[in-house]
Amino acid sequence: MSLARFLVVRLAGAIVTLLVVSMVVFAAIHNVPGGYEDVVLGPLATPELRAQTAEKYGLDQPIPVQYVKWLSAVVHGDLGTSMTSKTSVSSELARRIPATLELVLLALAFSLLAGVPLGIAAGLSSDSRFSRATSRLAGSLTMSIPDFVLGATLVYLFSVNSWWLRVGSYVGITEDLVGNIRSMVLPAFTLGLFGVAVIMRTQRDAIRGVLTQTFITAAVARGDAPRTIIRRNVIRNSSIPLVTIVAVLIGAFISGSVIVESLFSIPGIGVFFLNSVRNRDYAVVQAAVLLSATVFVVANMVADALYAVLDPRVGSTSAARGQK
Amino acid sequence: MNDAALEVRSLSIDYVGRNSTVRSLDGADLVVQPGEIVGVVGESGSGKSTLAAAIGRILPTSAERSGGDVTIFGRSVFGLDDRSIRGLRRKEIGFVFQNPISTLDPTKRIGKQMRDALAGTGADIGDMLRSVGLADPKRVLSAYPHQLSGGMAQRVAIAIAMARKPRLLVADEPTASLDRTVQATIMELLVQMSRADNTALVIFTHDLRAVAQYCDRVVVMYGGRPVEDASCSQIFDSPLHPYSQGLLAAAVGVEDQGDQLKPIPGAPPVLHGTSIGCSFAPRCTFADDTCRQERPEMRDVAAQMVACHHAERFTERITDLIAARMPDQTEATGA
Repeated sequence: MSLARFLVVRLAGAIVTLLVVSMVVFAAIHNVPGGYEDVVLGPLATPELRAQTAEKYGLDQPIPVQYVKWLSAVVHGDLGTSMTSKTSVSSELARRIPATLELVLLALAFSLLAGVPLGIAAGLSSDSRFSRATSRLAGSLTMSIPDFVLGATLVYLFSVNSWWLRVGSYVGITEDLVGNIRSMVLPAFTLGLFGVAVIMRTQRDAIRGVLTQTFITAAVARGDAPRTIIRRNVIRNSSIPLVTIVAVLIGAFISGSVIVESLFSIPGIGVFFLNSVRNRDYAVVQAAVLLSATVFVVANMVADALYAVLDPRVGSTSAARGQK
Repeated sequence: MNDAALEVRSLSIDYVGRNSTVRSLDGADLVVQPGEIVGVVGESGSGKSTLAAAIGRILPTSAERSGGDVTIFGRSVFGLDDRSIRGLRRKEIGFVFQNPISTLDPTKRIGKQMRDALAGTGADIGDMLRSVGLADPKRVLSAYPHQLSGGMAQRVAIAIAMARKPRLLVADEPTASLDRTVQATIMELLVQMSRADNTALVIFTHDLRAVAQYCDRVVVMYGGRPVEDASCSQIFDSPLHPYSQGLLAAAVGVEDQGDQLKPIPGAPPVLHGTSIGCSFAPRCTFADDTCRQERPEMRDVAAQMVACHHAERFTERITDLIAARMPDQTEATGA
């Protein structure tokens, strides 16, 4: 199978995934007790008023019909109108995406920049029981602290003395770069710390695994220096599992951003999304889910493509594929 | 230079685990002269692979040397610092491993790997590949390891190993993972290339038949050390160690027509320290109290080296056996 065909198959799979996700979410949000009319009109509204409101927004129609209407609008680039703010969903999203995007990218950069070198160091370091124990302990500790605990602690600590950083006063990146950095360090740290631990662990295990492979022994037997072997054989072979982890982390960060954004009052899509669920603002919920699902699916597709580039055995039908 | 190509002196290697220590080499001795072709034969667990790895000091990290040394052309392998051992590996020793595809980096094309491995040797990669019988170097160079057959990958590995013209080539089960039909050609290639460059070749294998065909000398290993060391004809005509005899009786391809293969009863020993008596004693039909209490050392019996207290017994026994088998053979050829 060629690389091109491999990607076409993945793309088809991605579209199916998005359709299924949007259907499930559509069905779920419309079947949750308490519709939009209940939220807006309150518990004492007359049935007539409810019916009137439902009719106004097309909510009286069967759910499959509503779904098809929504889908055909989306295909034409129309994400609908927020029923709460009466503004177009696309413009609301456009206003909020940059903050979330920045947060997720910063968290990702932090995880990679800290996690990869730590993982390489741990993977190459001597197999002493002490180093193994400390790295395991540090890893499980960081991985098991929930975002909201870490975030709340940081908010508390840095509210007392901010040490140059800012808590809860978000500044857009276009307004004031330094101010933006001051306001984003803590959120990115909160969101990314889990990633540091995950990436470190993956990188460490990957390196340990590669080091036991015969081609490493063969390179040693040829008289290659350790530095050469690490650069030439170890790094690339051990980066393969990392690609998958990064794709998964992007998904984790998008969902994690909801909590981090509300903790640090960042006007991203997380808070917007949370409110829209509470208000049964169907169009916004649908758009936000579609957006995050798309990012997740694209990240995984990119990971698959990258995987195929890094490991020539992927997407190959050679009989030797199973050989290790 | 009078130095032996390889000299292993009472080498003991243990694998240290969390709960137990297993002795893999138990005072092994082996001498290989320049240009000599030697086959080292033994079952799994006899210490073959450990000995092969010890030659290049490429043992796994759990291995610990508790005694002895390896010298290659007079240089002590375990006495060298890291830099010097790398130089020795680069210039003097070539290695060929068991699973050829996995000895190549799966993420890089053969061409790139060969250029990396042969940088500075001045060897022409195309010529190297042709000399190992790969007639279409272009195709091979642009392939990834998984796109090659096992036989082709082993040819590439041999080309890489031989490109620096090592004076000692160590092959650890070089054909065990290959098709029966390819095994012979790879073995021939190894022997032919070693002869052409006057490289000493040590083949570690469980395949007695291959050894019979290609080697000058055979070393039989058991319980972590050689127990018999003799010329090919001596081993096959008059094996003196009971284990060698058992190995021959169990081997495919060296039996006479109509004979049955006879497995050796029992399993190889797992040692945890220096064996006190003869490590083969529990499986040996001839063992007595001396065998169980006194460690047999290698000694010269009828012009071949053997580590058995009762080897003399077999010099006569073999003659009897051969005499007794003569009518059998005429019968077999007659039929």
